[in-house]
Amino acid sequence: MELVTLLAAVFEPQLLLTILLCTLYGSFVGAMPGLTATMAVALLVPFTYFMDPVQAVAAIVATTTTAIFAGDISGALLRMPGTPASAAYVEDAHALARAGRPRTTLFVSLFAASIGGIIGVLLLASATPLLARIASRFSSDEAFWLATLGLSCAVFVGGASVPRNFASLFIGLAIASVGIDVAVGHPRFTFGINDLYDGISFIPAMIGLFAIAEILRNAETSDPTRLGQLSVEPLRTALAGAWGQIRQRKLGILRSGVGGTFIGALPGAGADIAAWIAYAVSRRLSKTPEKFGRGHYEGIVDGGTANNAAVAGAWTPALVFGIPGDSVTAIAIGVLLMKGLTPGPNIFSSDAMLVETLFGAFLVANVVMIVSGGLAIMAASRLLRVPRSMLMPSVLLLSMIGAYAIMGSVTAVWIVLGLGLLGYLMTLARIPIAPAVLGVVLGEVVEDNFMVSMMKAQGDLTGFFDRGTAAVLGVVTLAVWGLLLFRAAREVISGGGSRSRETEKT
Amino acid sequence: MADTRDLVTGSALCALGAAMAIVARGFPTVGGMAYGPDLFPTIVAVGLVASGLGIAAEGLAAGRNRPDEDGGRRLGPLVGILAVIAFFALALDPLGFHIAAAISLLCSVRLFGGGMVAGTALALVGPVVLHAVFYSVLRVPLPWGLLLPVAW
Repeated sequence: MELVTLLAAVFEPQLLLTILLCTLYGSFVGAMPGLTATMAVALLVPFTYFMDPVQAVAAIVATTTTAIFAGDISGALLRMPGTPASAAYVEDAHALARAGRPRTTLFVSLFAASIGGIIGVLLLASATPLLARIASRFSSDEAFWLATLGLSCAVFVGGASVPRNFASLFIGLAIASVGIDVAVGHPRFTFGINDLYDGISFIPAMIGLFAIAEILRNAETSDPTRLGQLSVEPLRTALAGAWGQIRQRKLGILRSGVGGTFIGALPGAGADIAAWIAYAVSRRLSKTPEKFGRGHYEGIVDGGTANNAAVAGAWTPALVFGIPGDSVTAIAIGVLLMKGLTPGPNIFSSDAMLVETLFGAFLVANVVMIVSGGLAIMAASRLLRVPRSMLMPSVLLLSMIGAYAIMGSVTAVWIVLGLGLLGYLMTLARIPIAPAVLGVVLGEVVEDNFMVSMMKAQGDLTGFFDRGTAAVLGVVTLAVWGLLLFRAAREVISGGGSRSRETEKT
Repeated sequence: MADTRDLVTGSALCALGAAMAIVARGFPTVGGMAYGPDLFPTIVAVGLVASGLGIAAEGLAAGRNRPDEDGGRRLGPLVGILAVIAFFALALDPLGFHIAAAISLLCSVRLFGGGMVAGTALALVGPVVLHAVFYSVLRVPLPWGLLLPVAW
């Protein structure tokens, strides 16, 4: 009976339509160089405001899954990854496309993405209820440590050097501390602006940090390479060739799918890091490592599987602990909070239907993606000819009006401007944006639990270690901090330059 | 020699942290408690200063200006886009959504190197499409401004 209700909920026409439209939207945005998957979600958020929670989450899921795949389209055709997650195997994809097999390559990555996504959802659906049962016994002490641990992990695995990741995180926490405080209700850093009493509104903040910052970066660099003439193979050949490649590499797909899901589940490590690691592992285990980087399907299959598996994996900490695994789930948590739902262990008992429908929607999105992604591949060369001078202004106006729609006040546009400029300056200073987003989302959670625990312990910091689980989490967090300090010292000594390249795109 | 950009970044973060800490000291405390609304901002402020110092130290250790990965920068369009956003915020209520959006679109198409014809076309079509989506479907009360007499 329960299964019937669930299937009815998943296959509800309105939900299916939302998923279909969002996969098309995700293919479009993901394929555009300069528009990332996170930006696609940030622009989608104003619309989710008008949806019910399941529909909103399904929309986010469908958009991300397809956008991460579609990043391969411009990667293969222009050698410009549409999203950072496609960067790992862009050389292979482009070399194959130039050798006259653009469609085969893209169908390989589409199939790999879909299978990777499905592996990710299956792992997600089987692991999260178990984890939630453990997490449901947590008090404010454990909640504080867990949120802090999540934030610290984000610093640990993020792309840039430790001081830069920390700087980003603290900028996010600083943004989160604007507004009425939790302890006594005193307005902080509001500068007399009434609209700021509730804090810096989340949606304008995300739009500013992701969409506007990206537009500004596009404004100051010159127009990217244009799409040249490309010979395209017939659809039937491409499909058969792609399926053949996938069938040959079952083991690699399984390995990268499982690995990608785990990497995605680490706070701060998203689809891009999963793809890099899967590609490196694939190369090491390959019988023909010398072919990698010169147009080899193996790396594309493994990287493409891993980045979409990571999209699902990132939802594990988000759902179970309320700690986002990447920027997209950070935005999703913000959306759920806006809808009055608090992600965390209790959501599995209080809104079990929502969680199960979410898993169902995830599966459906990964299947529907094959159709939408296939259409995007067929239309790829047209898609990439949309001039930037028309695309960017449209995104700009959509950003401003989306932010305004949520707050109903011009303050939203000013927030978009301010945080857009901040996001731009951060990339200029080689500071990544993702940890800041975690800071914005988790700031209030960390402070709430910190203050509650402080009051319980009457200001005695050892109280944070009183309960068994809290003590373990506390010690693990402190150990991570120790490692971070050690790494920071090492990076400072070496000038911190070696890792700065990765911070450019988040 | 050091990487100037890192030194600037580090100093900016330190200044931000210091400013936060100073403002936070003015927050009221609850009677008898050693911690109040200022505790968390103060921790964040210390974190900002510490990471600022870390970045500055990295810059000093680097010993030179690291090259830009993006290549050349064009400041004009960048400032232009910021101005367009500010214009939209200022003009939205008095001029109304349609006029403010059309002007913003035309200006930003030009800033991104598009032609007058393309810009005008987008400026005419864009606001109408967004009006349909946000005003008619999502029921967001977009301001009419000057167009109020002909509101549809």
